[in-house]
Amino acid sequence: MSFFINIWRIIVSAWKHFVRNLWLALSTVFVLVLAMLSVNVLLGVNVLLNRAAQELESKIDVSVYFLANTPPAVLEQAKFLMTSLSQVQSAELIMPDTVLENFKKQHAAEPEVLGSLAELGENPFGATMILKAKNTADYPFLLQALDNPQFNFAIESKNYDDHAETIKRVREISNSVQVFGLILISIFALFSILIVYNTVRVAIYTQREEIGIMRLVGASNSFVRMPFVLEGIFLALFAIVIAGGIVYSATVYLEPYLSTFLDGADPGLLTYFSANWPQLVGAECGVLAGLVALSSWAAVGKYLKK
Amino acid sequence: MITLEKISKIYPPNVQGLRDINLKIDHGEFVSIVGQSGAGKTTLAKLLIAEERPTRGRIDIGGWDITRIPGRDVPFLRRQIGVVFQDFKLLPKKTVYENVAFALEVASMSGRRIRDIVPQVLKIVGLEEKARRFPHQLSGGEQQRVVIARALVHRPKVLLADEPTGNLDTLNAREIIDLLLKINSFGTTIVLVTHNREVVNALRRRVITLDGGMVVSDQAEGKYLLPV
Repeated sequence: MSFFINIWRIIVSAWKHFVRNLWLALSTVFVLVLAMLSVNVLLGVNVLLNRAAQELESKIDVSVYFLANTPPAVLEQAKFLMTSLSQVQSAELIMPDTVLENFKKQHAAEPEVLGSLAELGENPFGATMILKAKNTADYPFLLQALDNPQFNFAIESKNYDDHAETIKRVREISNSVQVFGLILISIFALFSILIVYNTVRVAIYTQREEIGIMRLVGASNSFVRMPFVLEGIFLALFAIVIAGGIVYSATVYLEPYLSTFLDGADPGLLTYFSANWPQLVGAECGVLAGLVALSSWAAVGKYLKK
Repeated sequence: MITLEKISKIYPPNVQGLRDINLKIDHGEFVSIVGQSGAGKTTLAKLLIAEERPTRGRIDIGGWDITRIPGRDVPFLRRQIGVVFQDFKLLPKKTVYENVAFALEVASMSGRRIRDIVPQVLKIVGLEEKARRFPHQLSGGEQQRVVIARALVHRPKVLLADEPTGNLDTLNAREIIDLLLKINSFGTTIVLVTHNREVVNALRRRVITLDGGMVVSDQAEGKYLLPV
């Protein structure tokens, strides 16, 4: 029974201490919020860079130009064979008539070009197949697959060479973003840990006399320690709620502006935070509360020994 | 009740705080320990509440050898010896009521008992009307009375008062001494550490005089002998 009485008193004491030391508590929460924001901002930047890399990757394709007068059966077979590959995301076949229409639309303002086309008297274009791979790493394989004897005789040209360098660079950027993002997040997390630890130490340093008094009137070490540890956890939870609110509001506000940098595509920040918030809040809450509790435990212990 | 046998305290590197003190204080006594600054009064007070350990010798309080007391038992000792400090040592963020109640909470006393005892003790020290105030809202004398109330809640057999009038004017000092006499009349042993000549001379109780860390005088109805 006395165990539960003590637990209840520790909770009440921690809460009262938090309320009565509001300015000290707020300044500590402020630093904790900054630490959490720095980690979350970096997380957001990482998401954005990944999204940008994905967006670039999505613009990459291989255009396969078929000879004019290639029989439709060969074209359909080429499309069927390519689509059946697991590495292919999509294979779009544009028939010669549509290619001709597109060409005319593109050059509507150039009468000489249209005149030359009219002189030919027939459609000089063959069909085009636009292939998109699921991963940029799969493009070389797709090019090999296009060497299929069932339709390779009908291929006039492929434009992969034009994209080879772009594909390589995007893949490098994408990989670098992943690696540097992780390194940066780790560094910021380490800084945040040091800041949080020192903030808690300073907060407890200002209360060292109180700790001494509690000991003098007969409080056991755990009775002195636990309210400080619990108060630290209160501070961490407040910081998480505030940081979460700021991150959510900033994401909602900034996302329309960020989409302009991605050619109107969804930056994916809100989607990322919405989809992962339970894990993010859980991990950040666990780490921050654990860190603050441990820091408080250690910092109070220093004054208990005196 | 309280026995000190051959107590010496040496601070590093080689400062002699107390040397070879032998004392016996009986139950219900009112003893003043006097001496000039550096005489060893505060060192003696710290040894009695196990805030420091003697270098040599043995201190026995109510049959309990506190020189060999393990660290985890120190809180229990402090709940049995009431302590009053010159600088009050009140918890600034707790009200008068909470400061007094805290001494009972640390002993896992039930809420009902705390609600019974605290108002009674505050009444003894005359602060029942100021229970909801914070220490900074009280005068020095009132703060010292809160400290005495806190020291009394465990009904200690010994009350150690270390310079309790040091920060008070004459009138408030007189009130605090009267309060200590009243507590002594209930049977509590009072150990008063002071260098206040007027207080000691007015008491006409046992006076132990320290000088240079040694007992130089121990009189049953003593006076403050040292020059000011």
